[in-house]
Amino acid sequence: MMGTQAQTFERASAMPAATWRFLGANDAQIEIPAGLSIQAGVKAEGNVRAGGADALDRALADAQAAWEAAHPAPTAAEEAERAAYLAAEADATYGGTALSAYQSGADALEGARSLAKAFEHGVGNEVAAYLRDVAGDCLLVKAENGQAASAEVVVEAASQAISVAAIDVVAEQGSTVDLSIVVDGPGAQPAGIAGTTVRIFAGEGARVNVARTQTLGEGHADIDDMALFAAEGAHIGVRQTVLGASKSFTGLAGDLRGDFAHVSIDTRYLGMGDQERDFNYALRHHGRKTESVMQANGVLAGESSKTLRGTIDLVRGCKGAEGSENETVLLVDEGVHNKTVPVILCNEDDVAGNHGATIGHIRNEQLFYLASRGLSQAAAEAMFASAIVEQAALDADTSAARSAVVRLGERVAPGFAGLFEEEVG
Amino acid sequence: MTSDALLRCRGLSAAVEEKAILHEVNLEVAQGQVHVLMGPNGAGKSTLGHVLMGDPAYEVTAGEIFFDGADITELAPDKRSRAGLFLSFQAPVEIPGVPLRSFLRAMMEGRGEKLKNKEFRRKTQELAETLDMDPAYLDRELGVGFSGGEKKKVEMLQLLLLQPKLAILDETDSGLDVDALSVVSHGMELYREACDGTLLIITHNTRILEHLNVDRVHVMVAGRVVAEGPATLIDEIDAQGFERYEAAPADAAESALR
Repeated sequence: MMGTQAQTFERASAMPAATWRFLGANDAQIEIPAGLSIQAGVKAEGNVRAGGADALDRALADAQAAWEAAHPAPTAAEEAERAAYLAAEADATYGGTALSAYQSGADALEGARSLAKAFEHGVGNEVAAYLRDVAGDCLLVKAENGQAASAEVVVEAASQAISVAAIDVVAEQGSTVDLSIVVDGPGAQPAGIAGTTVRIFAGEGARVNVARTQTLGEGHADIDDMALFAAEGAHIGVRQTVLGASKSFTGLAGDLRGDFAHVSIDTRYLGMGDQERDFNYALRHHGRKTESVMQANGVLAGESSKTLRGTIDLVRGCKGAEGSENETVLLVDEGVHNKTVPVILCNEDDVAGNHGATIGHIRNEQLFYLASRGLSQAAAEAMFASAIVEQAALDADTSAARSAVVRLGERVAPGFAGLFEEEVG
Repeated sequence: MTSDALLRCRGLSAAVEEKAILHEVNLEVAQGQVHVLMGPNGAGKSTLGHVLMGDPAYEVTAGEIFFDGADITELAPDKRSRAGLFLSFQAPVEIPGVPLRSFLRAMMEGRGEKLKNKEFRRKTQELAETLDMDPAYLDRELGVGFSGGEKKKVEMLQLLLLQPKLAILDETDSGLDVDALSVVSHGMELYREACDGTLLIITHNTRILEHLNVDRVHVMVAGRVVAEGPATLIDEIDAQGFERYEAAPADAAESALR
């Protein structure tokens, strides 16, 4: 591609089961402006190599064979019984109305018995395909059976450009992969886009940890796409830190296919000025006794806005599964807009789905405590905003991530860099 | 009123949601002294501490509070803090999302003290070690997952960092084991040594007072200060309890104030 064509993805990051349209929270609209140059802008270090884009597909195909062996296709009699059950269920529950678009789609997906088809992208398959096209060569981080691999990928945004990294992670049985991603750019710039599309395959008993830190300047948009597959006993941990960019789109979809698979997501974000934050999470529990935890903590200031869609789908057969989602949002100013849409879909008994949200201003007892230490309400609110950045710097897993956070901190609060002069140098 | 009273409240009454809790409390604490406020559960001791600090949950319905020569009855709590008043909380709140060190820095900057980062980190680290506290706590979210003892140590750390003119310690010793109690006592001594600090200690436990020279004891019952006396009053209460004050607080107030 020589440069971008103007393009709009109308239903990006769509939640699996739509809710009332008037809430305006079902999906996001991602606009690609015309004329952005395609930049490489990607640096990679560690156990990572370009090419090998089919390694993940091969791993998924192998998993498909293993899964089919463990889960034989239903017999004709079983299918007939299932169809009769669904019909009766629809009659009893919905007074004989047709299945919703979501229910029909979910039923068809399950019926297809294809792990590849069920391997979804958080921002949507259409946007993900576009990002992979822009990225060109895919980076592969692979750990062989029982081995460990680690890699750092930095995407550097540029003015009037689109910079994207496509990364596949294949963690074979019993292996460990640590991946750090930094999406960074200098201060205010004319329009541009930076992003990543990451596919993760965690084989049996594998552990994958991904930390993605986004510190783009104003004027840029960030697209963060992830697709996860967790085999039996696999653990995938993802930490996403969203601090910069005028607009950010974070989408993650995961298939907890194997029994005892575990996925945890830790999201931290800051919204200031008129920044827009969009998050879409969809975790589908297929395996028995699978577990997912989504935790989001954010601060919204100025006239920023945020929508978070979190879907836990407890699919038929996932007995003993447990999913939980929790969000804490601090609304610093009156002008902010916050939407939190937790959805728990359940098609199995003996499962648990929990959600909770703490949304609001600083509690009175917290304010008094801070005041008793000399902090006015304004000072307390400023402290909450800068604390998100400071915590991100403290938790940064690589020096590149820490430096990026500190640079952003300095832009947000002059003098911030001095706090980390020893660590950053 | 003594001429050198650092804190003086006179005729102080306060209510929460229209329910009167404090009734015409008179109290004076001189600069550099150690005062102890004792009383049975529910007497209003913690309420007095919060009202002196300006907790907006309480309404001052009568009386006045003077601190360091100024009337602070209507002053906002953050301004009282910056004027040199400190309240150590019985149950310190948790502040998720804010690392302890960020909070401490914001606290110091609120007083116009711009310490260089290295100096600030060194100072907070030293104080943490002095209080037998793992410095790793400085990078953790304020109070989140801290034990009761660690929370109280964090209160003492703030006391030593701020060095206020007067510190009200609201049952800082409650729920502490012997080791943590010793650390907190040490913190109080350090505070006194560092800045000739003034203390108003709200406690049930006389053990925390063992290493302090108590100047004055106040006994509160049912929202009133019903007795005052020298340090020997602590031993009397230790032996006899509050029964004689609880029997007829109003009468006792007349006879026991001395």
